[in-house]
Amino acid sequence: MDTSSPAAFVNGGLLRMHVGRKVRTVIQVTRSDAGSVMGKSTDGCQLVVRGSPPAPLTSYVEVIGVAENENSIRAELWTNFGDSFDASNYDQLCQLANGELKHLFL
Amino acid sequence: MPVNLTRNAIAMMNSGDFNSKPLVQVVDIKLIGNSQERYRFLLSDSESTQHAMLATQLNEQVRTGRVKKGSIIQLIDYICSTVQNRRIIVVLNMETIIPEYEIIGNPKLLMGSEPEANKSMPNNNLFEPSTRSTNNRYSAPAPANKAQSFQPTIQPAYQPPPNYKIQGPIMKNEAPARIIPIAALNPYQGRWAIKARVTAKGDLRRYNNARGDGKVFSFDLLDSDGGEIRVTCFNAVVDRFYNVIEVGKVYLISKGSLKPAQKNFNHLKNEWEIFLESNSTVELCPDEDGSIPRQQFSFRPITEIESAENNSILDVIGIVISVNPSVPILRKNGMETQRRILNLKDVSGKSVELTLWGDFCNKEGQKLQEMVDSGLFPVLAVKAGKVNDFNGKSIGTISSTQLFIDPDCPEAQGLRAWFESGGRNTASISISKEIMPGGSKNEIRKTLTQIKDEGLGRSDKPDWVTAKATVVFIKTDNFCYTACPLMIGDRQCNKKVTQSGNKIWLCDRCNQEFEECDYRYLLQVQIQDHTGLTWVTAFQEAGEEILGCSAKEMYLLKYELQDDTRFGEIIRSRLFHQYLFRLKIKEELYGDEQRVKITVVKVDKVNYSAESRYLLDMVTKNLPNRKQF
Repeated sequence: MDTSSPAAFVNGGLLRMHVGRKVRTVIQVTRSDAGSVMGKSTDGCQLVVRGSPPAPLTSYVEVIGVAENENSIRAELWTNFGDSFDASNYDQLCQLANGELKHLFL
Repeated sequence: MPVNLTRNAIAMMNSGDFNSKPLVQVVDIKLIGNSQERYRFLLSDSESTQHAMLATQLNEQVRTGRVKKGSIIQLIDYICSTVQNRRIIVVLNMETIIPEYEIIGNPKLLMGSEPEANKSMPNNNLFEPSTRSTNNRYSAPAPANKAQSFQPTIQPAYQPPPNYKIQGPIMKNEAPARIIPIAALNPYQGRWAIKARVTAKGDLRRYNNARGDGKVFSFDLLDSDGGEIRVTCFNAVVDRFYNVIEVGKVYLISKGSLKPAQKNFNHLKNEWEIFLESNSTVELCPDEDGSIPRQQFSFRPITEIESAENNSILDVIGIVISVNPSVPILRKNGMETQRRILNLKDVSGKSVELTLWGDFCNKEGQKLQEMVDSGLFPVLAVKAGKVNDFNGKSIGTISSTQLFIDPDCPEAQGLRAWFESGGRNTASISISKEIMPGGSKNEIRKTLTQIKDEGLGRSDKPDWVTAKATVVFIKTDNFCYTACPLMIGDRQCNKKVTQSGNKIWLCDRCNQEFEECDYRYLLQVQIQDHTGLTWVTAFQEAGEEILGCSAKEMYLLKYELQDDTRFGEIIRSRLFHQYLFRLKIKEELYGDEQRVKITVVKVDKVNYSAESRYLLDMVTKNLPNRKQF
């Protein structure tokens, strides 16, 4: 398993802490165009993800890429997460992974 | 607020006046009695005092503090009797007018009454202060202080009519005693009489003990106030009354002795029991007394039985929804008896199993069976059934139980009306199935090694826990057993059946033979989690969840079609699935050793969302900085 460049688990609010670095997040797709997808993060922020999403796209998608700024990501990897997803669990995971349990993740 | 107690109330009561309802004050309350709770009041009319015993049905008022020292009360019903030359007043009914009040006047003890009715006084001189050691605040009565306008007389409460016959050399007062409520009966009572209906008549029993042979029988009485009491007769007294007493008839009974009731056999709400003697009188009252009910019940809804104590005695009424045949049962003492199981349902939406023993099977049981077989759903009232907590809660008959089919009482009518207008079709939950404590709200989660480390299952009740684990091995030898498909009530018998002859199965419990048996899982499974692994046993429902198909299908595949390949494929495909197992853990004796047996009661697929929440909760709870509190 390649652990050389881990992606930090982020939600909308935590994205700004990792600008320029590799991040991963799950968004609920609100709009999808060729070249970019707009979605709601697990803490309710609007994020833009640039890149070529898979077709078809499910309601929830995980993106791994580089954080461009505090509300946009340039995605390298897209994974459909289906139409039902527990956003609050994921959000709590993001908080733990950036807070008290950061040392377990990065 | 000034209060005027009834003037000379004490003297009036002592001279036989029972019609006034005097207002008096309770200046003292004492709890006396060796084995029973009896209260003795000291009543005052502001000038004189008198001891009075409180009838036990009023004990609650003292216990709850509704009447206490200083209370102003009105005596509504009371009697005065003379026991061993002492005057005793018994309060049968009273009402507290003012619960707390300072002592009115300067009441003194009235001449002619003694403070201690049970003890014999070494010094009968009432006028000596030393005899009143318990009541210091009262000045000792001296003859000169007596300013009463009349002398209290010591007389029986009832004057015999002058033309009453005198029999024998000794002139006895043969006047009929006053009829009192059964609830007022107590050993301190002078002469009493009760008028009551026989609600139950026991069998004539012969016995043999150290004192020789004897015979005894008992019957239960109910009066118009709803009071109940048991009456017992021994030996010669049995001969006098056994044929006289008939259930349903009303009798006037007098001159028996009152003794504490034997709570083991006597479940009536009375602390006393009457024992008739050679001078007791039992007189049939031929005129029908409509004021005395035929039976007294205090029915509990089936839903309340669920929380009733094991071995408690209660009354219940319900619609009979199923009756099973009588089966002979071998008892522990080697004697055989009959047993029948019925199911009752009531408006509470619950149903309960009722077990009939012995004669009940042949009499009421047979009748109920015929009624149910012909499509009827009779109402059954049970008086004095015993609660059993072996499998959930069920009720069984005991020797003093009485069964009433379609009784003519308002509860039966109410039940019938409910049943006919929809109750018939509402499903009811049986309280006689084993209950699993702890719903999904208070599940206890354990890891598999915690079961061993914490010694679960070692106490006298089983431990119920939930564990998340993965199936790693399923034993394929003896994975199921042949089960009885017959129904007992709303449950399948499921007892292991044996083959008797070719293609015929026999069930010992139901005592029946049939061609097709059911197959039910008895799976031995090994489950594992991050801490360790353990063997568990899974029965039918759990087995079906784990294997994903019925025991019958697997049985046919392995033994009839003998398709080991397919069988093996199915087993392998079910390994390494993770589940939430609800486990019942109990230590049991296997031969000589104690082994902890773990049974899978329920198998649930892991709900990832819920499970994640559970894990996140555990993580946040155990974070180090939280422990700084």
